[in-house]
Amino acid sequence: MRKRRDQGGGHESSHGIDLAPMLDFVINLLIFFIITAVFVKESGLTVNRPTSFEQENKEDSKSIQIQILDNGEIWVDNRAVDVRAVRANVERMSAVNPDSGVLIIAQEKAPTGTLVQVVDEVHLGGIYNITFSTTQ
Amino acid sequence: MQSRRHAPSNEDHGIDLAPMLDFCINLLIFFIITTSFIKETGVTVFKPEAVTAEHKESGNLLIAIRENGDIHMDRQHVELRDVRTRMERLHIERPEDSVVIIADKGSQAGAVAKVMDEVRLAGIKDVSIAADPGP
Repeated sequence: MRKRRDQGGGHESSHGIDLAPMLDFVINLLIFFIITAVFVKESGLTVNRPTSFEQENKEDSKSIQIQILDNGEIWVDNRAVDVRAVRANVERMSAVNPDSGVLIIAQEKAPTGTLVQVVDEVHLGGIYNITFSTTQ
Repeated sequence: MQSRRHAPSNEDHGIDLAPMLDFCINLLIFFIITTSFIKETGVTVFKPEAVTAEHKESGNLLIAIRENGDIHMDRQHVELRDVRTRMERLHIERPEDSVVIIADKGSQAGAVAKVMDEVRLAGIKDVSIAADPGP
């Protein structure tokens, strides 16, 4: 034992396992994970999609309907309204029917930006039960 | 020298690396656990803004829809009909993850609806539309 140590490094004075290579390896792994780390956290709005069953019955439900046209116009109650007026309309209609949901009917080519704005306004109006459907 | 050998704590003449090693391994475990499961989309889209957007803790599966209707997920361009099979596979791997659809401001609502339907057909019920929380 003594002899081998003398032949080998000679500078080694400890008799334990040499931790340095393991440490190198661990630090490399650590650097790899730090570099590849992604801290993306998305925030979003949750909306429902109607099932086919609900789609058949939507006519007789008391839900508030908001339509979004291809050109971004918003129609509530057969009137074209501004995005900022959606909240007031929703608040008024939910006062009449307190537990009604909102049905957003968007045309195929309606911009998503408008859709999200409308969903946001409806949330501000106090309703989180939103169903989103599209028409041709 | 011979007498110092008997005292176990004084054998090394270098710095004691054990605490540093513990610390590094803890950091390593932290990074392994907290990261690496988010499926990035690999494209930049202009998200709409919404004041009431909620933080999605488990929203790890991201699907981007660009203005021209291209669908991107996991750093690849995918067709609409492939979304379902990919989502099914990812859903089996990590069942508790939810989907966030990152749709461009100018993308069409119809495209978003189609992607949402595909994701729901894949068995994932928790789908939301990404929005930047307002200032």
